[in-house]
Amino acid sequence: MALAVGIFAVALVLIATEWVHRTKIALLGAGLVVVSQTIEQEQAIEAIDFNTIGLLAGMMLMVKLTETTGVYTYLAIRAGQLSRGRPLAVVMSLAGTTAVLSAFLDNLTTVLLVVPITFLLADALDIDPIPLVIIEIIVSNIGGTATLIGDPPNIIIAGATDLSFMAFITNLGPIAAVAFAVVTAVLYLAYRSKLQVAPEARQRVMELDAAGAIEDHDELRRTVPILVGTILLFFVHKAVGLEPATVALAGATVMLMVSRQQLEETLSGIEWPTLFFFLGLFVMVGALEETGAIEEVAHGIGNLTDGDRTAELLGITWIAAIGSGVVDNIPFTATMVPVVRELQAGNAGDDAYWWALALGACFGGNFTLIAAAANVAAAGMASKAGTPITFMTFLRAGVPATLISMTLATAYIALRYL
Amino acid sequence: MADSGLPAVPVVKHDGGLAGVFGEGEFMEALFPGYFGQLRSASFVRKSLDEALEKRAGCASEPISRHMFTEHVEVPSDASDSQIAETFLHHRSLVLPVCEDGRVVGVITRHDFFRRLAELVLDAAP
Repeated sequence: MALAVGIFAVALVLIATEWVHRTKIALLGAGLVVVSQTIEQEQAIEAIDFNTIGLLAGMMLMVKLTETTGVYTYLAIRAGQLSRGRPLAVVMSLAGTTAVLSAFLDNLTTVLLVVPITFLLADALDIDPIPLVIIEIIVSNIGGTATLIGDPPNIIIAGATDLSFMAFITNLGPIAAVAFAVVTAVLYLAYRSKLQVAPEARQRVMELDAAGAIEDHDELRRTVPILVGTILLFFVHKAVGLEPATVALAGATVMLMVSRQQLEETLSGIEWPTLFFFLGLFVMVGALEETGAIEEVAHGIGNLTDGDRTAELLGITWIAAIGSGVVDNIPFTATMVPVVRELQAGNAGDDAYWWALALGACFGGNFTLIAAAANVAAAGMASKAGTPITFMTFLRAGVPATLISMTLATAYIALRYL
Repeated sequence: MADSGLPAVPVVKHDGGLAGVFGEGEFMEALFPGYFGQLRSASFVRKSLDEALEKRAGCASEPISRHMFTEHVEVPSDASDSQIAETFLHHRSLVLPVCEDGRVVGVITRHDFFRRLAELVLDAAP
């Protein structure tokens, strides 16, 4: 057990410091626990949650196929234009679009699609793009909280439980909506002075030709209805007896059949580093479970809280928020899932434990620049654009946003589940 | 560059060695904002926005090292046609710096190289 814990701890530290790519660390850690026979190969393969991997791969393929049509660029430009260049409206419409897209696509993709257009809109409006980008990162993490497919922690939790898409949206949607409204309003007030738009600049945004962003109308008609259909199917997946991964991969397969795009090019849209990161992570966590380390942590927490449900729920959600901020919410959630399963088992399969974990891990993704994959990606794009987002710049917005959303989450848990 | 008529020029270090290549493409990259490379397309940007987007005054003060092309495209002065052709085919550079003893001694432009090849083909034709 000591070896499994040691390897995992070192891996977490290395992931947090970002000296080496996190995927390499996860694969090395997984390799070590298998080679050292801390976990048998057969158990290691069983530990990999293919529901999570399949769901991610299916969504990545559908995003790649629809992205080439220019539909997301169109949406982002329309969001900018809807505001007519008025600062509050610009923030609200860009933030709203980002949050809704994040709820149904993954956050990372949403940020990669929306951020370049935001830079362009900011140039047209002659304002600093960084406040807008930071707001987008933060609301993408909040918007992603609302659904099963919106944020990697939720995908991991869904993979490990039999919670349905509807269960996620009805339990997490309301609080995500409230947190979105409050956090966006607070960030707008904080950044207001940087978002003043001159009257002639307002007009410039209206000169963008949104319809011109659609690159391939035929491909759009072929692929986007399938994406919409797949999302609708998620709403009823439980009723028709299909796992989320099946829904996503079926949607992706149908889209591949009707699309005219090159298969090789489409498959390159799968973020292999992310999928391999998950594989490595699941094997390392599998070793922790196999050797009994997870059980001890769960017992430790159980002893600490004395089995008190209130303490456990609030403990899970705040530990998840802080842990996600320090490490990255994906490995943190993967580790917490078996711990929470142990704790929850003592309370007759009480689902509130999962919502507490999801809220903490998803909202905690806003704590620091490294807390969620979308943050890191957006920061990378900003520095390529010549306006880097520093760790501290993000922290000044991320910490208040996390504290506000977590305070709201705490109140929500108390009102609804305690 | 505009005066020399060359589509790109080598950027030379103090010791005469090659630092990179700066050409028409790099100039465009420097003039337009950094996020342009990340846009899928700019088909929605109308002409009236050009002034707001182009960094006409700003880019002149930026160091050339930020935008130059740094892949190794230099060739020796006795390079074969095959080596030159392969280098042009694998890199987007419009000129290849010619180096001797670690110092840049000249350039081969893609246009000149094309003319040389075209002449060879015409001479060989019956």
